[in-house]
Amino acid sequence: MSDSAMTVNAMHGSAMEPSPFLISSKKLTMWLFIVADAATFGGLLFAYGFLRFGSASWTRPFSFSPNILNGLVMTVILLTSSLTMLGGVAAAHDGRRSATMKWLGATVVLGVLFAILHLREWTAMFHEGWSLTANPMGGTVLFGALFFSITGLHLLHVISGVVAISVIALGFRSGRLSAGHVETTGLYWHFVDLVWMFVFPLLYLLNLH
Amino acid sequence: MTTMEPSAGPNMRVYISVWLGMLLIVAIEAALAYAHVSGGVLVTALLVLAFLEAAIALRYFMHLKYEVPMLFWTLIPGLLLAFFMMNQFWADSSRLNALRFPVP
Repeated sequence: MSDSAMTVNAMHGSAMEPSPFLISSKKLTMWLFIVADAATFGGLLFAYGFLRFGSASWTRPFSFSPNILNGLVMTVILLTSSLTMLGGVAAAHDGRRSATMKWLGATVVLGVLFAILHLREWTAMFHEGWSLTANPMGGTVLFGALFFSITGLHLLHVISGVVAISVIALGFRSGRLSAGHVETTGLYWHFVDLVWMFVFPLLYLLNLH
Repeated sequence: MTTMEPSAGPNMRVYISVWLGMLLIVAIEAALAYAHVSGGVLVTALLVLAFLEAAIALRYFMHLKYEVPMLFWTLIPGLLLAFFMMNQFWADSSRLNALRFPVP
């Protein structure tokens, strides 16, 4: 056998080798993305801790109403959207297209609701004078910089997730995409929920005045 | 022969129980924020509860419990090590604070 033929055989052999994780390549790719993204959010939250711990004074602008109450409602909405996403994945694996669309539709609605509540909160803070470089309470500007950066990156993930779920849902309804695609998108959505489980206590609950 | 079929996960009843459990943890976090505890205790408690929620989400919502163990051992310990290594920065953060001139 020639060298080139052996090389081709070797390549085919490795391509046919089953995944040691027994999951599809797209699901593994999503897991690798999630790990990298978790490191990004972890780095940002550590930076927040570093700057807060290293600051002589720190502004704690939040009160129960509207900030914490709004944050709690947002948390419940995001957690519930994870539940509806699980319903969508289960229905997709069972081949129930109509039920899948309903569950995914509910997830999109909850994601949009979360984004609207977040943007409403941001708008109120902007009107109070908060920005990336301004603190209306007269202290360090670091709180605004960190709050808007971290929640902004998370909000970007939520909006991306809403778009992704919508696209996947339409593709699944038309038969172009499989239940595996729905499940992989679900992994991403649960990760967005998981990140919020750190953002809410660290950025909201620890900044009560 | 190995297959790449999705592993059998829990049913919706289990998911709803997990969802309720996570809501309970959020409620405990909010209650703790209003309890009269020191800053250090509060940060520690909130972080422990957040990691507990993350572990539950990973195991049940993201199905890590139902995948082969190698997936967990490939992904999670390395990430936790990265987080652990970031703790090296706290000493410098503390030093920055100590270097400031005292507030008159």
